[in-house]
Amino acid sequence: MGQATDTVERTEIGHDEFDPIGTLALIMVYFAILVALWLFMYFVEFLGNDPTVTGAVVPVVGLI
Amino acid sequence: MSESRNAYIDAFPAEAKVVRAAFYSSFLALALGGVFGIIQTLHRTDVFRFIDSTDYYTVLTAHGVFLVISFTIFFLVGIFTWAITTSLDRSVKDIRFTWGWYSLMAIGITLTGVAILAGFTDSIDMSADVLFTFYAPLQGHPLFYIGLVLFIVGTWLAGADWFRTWWAWKQENPDERIPLPTFMVLTTMLMWYIATLGVAASVLLFLLPWSLGLIETVNPLLTRTLFWFFGHPIVYFWLMPAYMMWYIMLPKVSGGKLFSDPLARVVFVLFLILSVPTGIHHQYLDPGIAEGFKFIAMTNTMFLLLPSLLTAFTVVASMEHGARQRGGEGYFGWLKALPWRDPVFTGMALAGLMFAAAGFSGMINAGMNINYLVHNTFWVVGHFHLTVGTAVALTFMAVTYWFLPQVTGKALWNRSVALGQVVLWFLGMTFMSNAMHRGGLLGIPRRTAEPQYDGFEFEASVGSVAELDAQIALGGILLTLSLVLFFANVIGTALNGRSDTLPDNSYAETLSGPEDAPKVLDNLKLWTIIAIILVIFAYTFPLLSIIDRGGLFGPDINPFPVSIETIPMLAMALEGYTTAAVASAGEFAQATLLGVIR
Ligand code: HEM
Ligand SMILES: [Cu+2]
Repeated sequence: MGQATDTVERTEIGHDEFDPIGTLALIMVYFAILVALWLFMYFVEFLGNDPTVTGAVVPVVGLI
Repeated sequence: MSESRNAYIDAFPAEAKVVRAAFYSSFLALALGGVFGIIQTLHRTDVFRFIDSTDYYTVLTAHGVFLVISFTIFFLVGIFTWAITTSLDRSVKDIRFTWGWYSLMAIGITLTGVAILAGFTDSIDMSADVLFTFYAPLQGHPLFYIGLVLFIVGTWLAGADWFRTWWAWKQENPDERIPLPTFMVLTTMLMWYIATLGVAASVLLFLLPWSLGLIETVNPLLTRTLFWFFGHPIVYFWLMPAYMMWYIMLPKVSGGKLFSDPLARVVFVLFLILSVPTGIHHQYLDPGIAEGFKFIAMTNTMFLLLPSLLTAFTVVASMEHGARQRGGEGYFGWLKALPWRDPVFTGMALAGLMFAAAGFSGMINAGMNINYLVHNTFWVVGHFHLTVGTAVALTFMAVTYWFLPQVTGKALWNRSVALGQVVLWFLGMTFMSNAMHRGGLLGIPRRTAEPQYDGFEFEASVGSVAELDAQIALGGILLTLSLVLFFANVIGTALNGRSDTLPDNSYAETLSGPEDAPKVLDNLKLWTIIAIILVIFAYTFPLLSIIDRGGLFGPDINPFPVSIETIPMLAMALEGYTTAAVASAGEFAQATLLGVIR
């Protein structure tokens, strides 16, 4: 459908000429958002509530 | 006339009928599910209540089962049949067999649906308000389970149909690589066969006999664990067809080619081996499962991020390729060159965007300790309306605008309505899901008819609960309108006359093709064996310790001598081992840290 009604000019770009720099840019933005949210989570989880199950790695994982 | 046209229905008229039937079944489920969706939204936000709150769980069960079992899976069998026949360029072996599995699925889900809907009336002594997770202690009418079994056996036979077609093709093309769409179908089905063993065991050994009165009790934790053995991978059974669409349709409608066929294969192999041994991450709060096992499930879950990130990269790169071929430029400017007026493209792109957002809430869910914050709250509902409710559902609706003409031979009724529909869904879900997430952080529970309590207020640091409720109701209404537009298009298209100007049946070409993919990727036996081994590792000890503690059929009776002495010992040894390993790792880290500080 897209194809049939498309009138945009096409330039053929092959495997070697294609450098997905825009993809890299978008993914960097996404990671930046993820990191920011992750930091924000600290305030919601640890400062906004009473402590839940926290502590050093060992007690959380090990004591069964 | 037909010579000039090369749509799917022209090449495979018999299969097109089955695919069409599967689509219509799927859409019927979507319609029913949507109606129940808006009812419960207005009910729990107290905007408009016209059902009795005691009927809420009947509504919720119908919403869940119709949407995530029948809508998604009927759509899947439709596009998988299309994918197999198109990419192998051959018909199914025996079309009667194909109709056979379709009928079995249809009969099965009808029985299940009847059992659920009968809950609305007192005149029939039947109900199955067990929610789509249907584990004990909730018990439904036997018909519910029987229907479910038939439906799942139908999907097994569908898989057999596709494997059979592939084997026949392989005889004639022994040296060729498996075409990518077929590869995706086969890996998905292998994953499904492993995953459904859990639900088959749970239903056939415990829930069905229990509901028939053949056994007195069951071990609830066991049925929960077996459910989630299946309940996590079913998530991938919804997602993998959507991924398939992103890999093989989205590049084409963007005007480009798939960036990498080998990467796509890697992703599907990773899903095959990692989908099942993660189910326990839904049980972080279940007492009776040792923390160590939960930790293993969490680790596997984190590995599952890998194929999703690979997908994000490959799919976005393929879109960018299309945009650059269409003259797009710059770091972000290329986004403007994408075909945003095409509902097929826009729907899928927006679905992908929502999935990226779901990536964050999913990471919160996946973390063992952070999960405690959101477990069983409205947050979780917000999360999966982004994943299955949008990434999957919106992708399916968007590609319908391409598939429907292909399988009916009729032009799409209205492209502008289609474009409006996908945008409306995106908007509605933004409101609804965002507010659900926030509500969850305040502690508002899910699965509750009236989360308004006397003498207690949820404290919102930003906004208020009334504001959240308003957003949820608004979102729900926009979503319902979007569904109305969708069905207008489906019905309008069905009523259209035959069209002679349909696009050819095709899927995306690749920039880097299968010849660049290592041969071992196509070794399905190898990946299946690895998948099974990982499942055995992840589940043997948890299951054995659950049975050991609670009994096969519940805490009170122990009809079978499950007490193979070594089992608890082995389980303890494993637990001890992980503890020791982690502890020593911790000590090591501490020592190094101290060393560094000194
Ligand atoms: C018109 C669009 C929709 C609306 C208004 C809607 C609304 C809701 C609401 C408010 C709930 C939570 C009820 C509660 O926990 O008390 C819910 C649950 C759920 N929804 Fe939706 N939804 C919609 C579409 C979808 C779609 C498209 C899917 C999947 C394909 C979906 C899958 C689910 C599932 C699995 C549940 C959980 C059921 C349970 O807890 O057992 N929904 N929905
Ligand atoms: Cu899961």
